[in-house]
Amino acid sequence: MMEGEGILHETDSSLGGKGLRYAAILREVSKSFKNMKALRNLTLKVPQGKVFGLIGPNGAGKTTTLRILATLVRHDSGYVEVLGMELPKMRVEVRKRIAYLPEDAGLYGRLTGWENLLYYAMIYAGKRRAEEVAMKGAEISGLSEEDLNRKAHEYSKGMSRRVAIARALMLEADLTILDEPTSGLDVVSSYSIRETIKDYVKRTGKAVIFTSHNLLEVEEVCDEVALIHQGRILDSGSASSLKSNYRARNLEEVFIKALGLAEA
Amino acid sequence: MLYAVIWKELRDISRDYKTLAVIALLPLVMMPLMSMASIYVQKAQTGYAYVVDEDHGEGCVGSTCISSEEIAEIIKKTLLSHGFVILDHPGKEILDIKVVIPRGFSHNATSLNATAEIIIYQNVASSKAQEGIAAVNSVLNDLTRRLAEAKIRLLGKKAGIYVNPGSILDPLSLKPLYVNPEGQSVSYKEAFQVTLARILSFSLIFVTTPSIAYITDSIVGEKERKTFEALLATPLPRWSIILGKAVSTSLIGLVTGVSDAVGLILFFTIPSLTYGINMLSFLTPQLVGTHFLAVYLSVVASLAMILPIIIRSGSYRSAQTFSLIIIGGASTIFFMSLYADLSNLQAPLMYILYLIPYTHAVEMIRATVLNHYLNALLHVLYIMAIISALMWVSLELFSEEKIIYSRT
Ligand SMILES: Nc1ncnc2c1ncn2[C@@H]1O[C@H](COP(=O)(O)OP(=O)(O)OP(=O)(O)O)[C@@H](O)[C@H]1O
Ligand SMILES: [Mg+2]
Repeated sequence: MMEGEGILHETDSSLGGKGLRYAAILREVSKSFKNMKALRNLTLKVPQGKVFGLIGPNGAGKTTTLRILATLVRHDSGYVEVLGMELPKMRVEVRKRIAYLPEDAGLYGRLTGWENLLYYAMIYAGKRRAEEVAMKGAEISGLSEEDLNRKAHEYSKGMSRRVAIARALMLEADLTILDEPTSGLDVVSSYSIRETIKDYVKRTGKAVIFTSHNLLEVEEVCDEVALIHQGRILDSGSASSLKSNYRARNLEEVFIKALGLAEA
Repeated sequence: MLYAVIWKELRDISRDYKTLAVIALLPLVMMPLMSMASIYVQKAQTGYAYVVDEDHGEGCVGSTCISSEEIAEIIKKTLLSHGFVILDHPGKEILDIKVVIPRGFSHNATSLNATAEIIIYQNVASSKAQEGIAAVNSVLNDLTRRLAEAKIRLLGKKAGIYVNPGSILDPLSLKPLYVNPEGQSVSYKEAFQVTLARILSFSLIFVTTPSIAYITDSIVGEKERKTFEALLATPLPRWSIILGKAVSTSLIGLVTGVSDAVGLILFFTIPSLTYGINMLSFLTPQLVGTHFLAVYLSVVASLAMILPIIIRSGSYRSAQTFSLIIIGGASTIFFMSLYADLSNLQAPLMYILYLIPYTHAVEMIRATVLNHYLNALLHVLYIMAIISALMWVSLELFSEEKIIYSRT
């Protein structure tokens, strides 16, 4: 571990989300599915007010990690807290303060894009403030008013994804969890989604954690990254510090070298 | 929060015009169709009949006169109304029955010392022949009665005494009286209403299916279309997800309820038009109201039964299998109610049936027909208790992890 030794009690629940250094902390977390060990003593800290990238190959445990943070999956052992609240004990409270976009999340096809936004706005902000919040979503999505009034099943993959991301970001939750937001999108679409995420964090000062296979993308967007492999964190830190530590030209090389060290 | 779920579900449901139209039309089409079909089947089977009058005679008993020609006409008309084609000449068609009024019939029928007969040849291979014989018999029964009464009156007159033909023809008789379960007598109309209640219960068969399809789609569909996982991470209380979906899809039950009630009215209108009996007068507001409530509660009960299963199972296939089982069970009870009084069954079987909400839907209607409103209310409460218990089970079984990782 490059960072994080001895971190034990740096949180103070009484402060709530504000004043916390970390939006989320996982310590020695393990999770198995039947005989399959998805996470093995995984330790990870997601800093406040930054874009945090979780990168790793297929089956590394990215989605499992995010689902634990999103209160949907219970870890077998270890300690998990989100915004200073321990999981799974405080899951009901945590749900009010996070936004989650699952891997290949869908929209309600028979509703319009606008109605999809409005539904989530109602859930989080209540009936009265729903329109206001959904308006923010409409803006973030970048879709025209005409498109937003079309049924979602008519959308292209890129349009659906834009609305789904907007649906998460418009909530301005203290922690936004995005699982592969750009997967399957073309260069232009993923570029604009990356810009959206960067702008969002700059504007709101809230934390975002997202996963990706695309190391170039991660290098560009993330303030900090963690490399995950076979349910363990290989290393974490800012992209530049990782590169200089490993004497690598890019994150791809960092990953290969870290993997080599881990397996050596 | 509950509001948001219902808002979304109703929007989702209302956008699926086609399915909605089918649901609304199903009872509206099925019930009159059933009614017409039963009338049609009765009449559709054509048979060929040939009626010969070999007598060409007339005769009188006192002032009561008959003519063989007239009797032949009545027999023809009756056979015609039972779907027979009456042939003028025996042709190459295979006859189902042949009715012969033999020579001397009128004379013998009106004499005081002979008997007359009508001869019927029936085709042994024809099922329609039975119906024809029954029809001819009904004509002969009327005629026999008329002639017997006339003969008794004539004899009485000749003997110079007053005779009541009824006391000779029916010295003994059975008098059927309709009574309710308490033994108080009820009118024929009320007796018919019990039959009506059975038909009403049976019509519930059409209403449970669509709502089950909707709730399955609303839960399994969300998993399959990958919208559920995001929803589960929202602060929506779990009960409001379950209740919101149940309430919204149960509104489908209201649609089916209305259309079932209208279908029912059509069910009775068609025979009314055909047979000229005003069957609609049997449909009291209480009955229509209870029927509507029974429909709605049956629907909600179906939803409540399927919910714990689809929350755990997840795939369309398994959800559909269980739906079929539930619909099958419901149909069995609705069908049984056509033949049996569920509440009169033996103890162990009755208790089992009482755990099944549909039993109470049937009993509700029956109690209303018998004016046992308190009893009807009790059955309403039973259903609601069962529904609440099932909802609680669904909530207990609710597990985000199981939902996410269930195979779709
Ligand atoms: N329901 C399950 N049953 C058994 N094993 C599972 C289940 N879900 C996940 N796993 C295993 O857990 C491990 C981690 O899975 P996870 O989905 O977290 O990976 P990931 O990093 O998100 O991969 P990807 O990049 O393909 O999305 C994998 O090896 C996977 O096979
Ligand atoms: Mg994944």
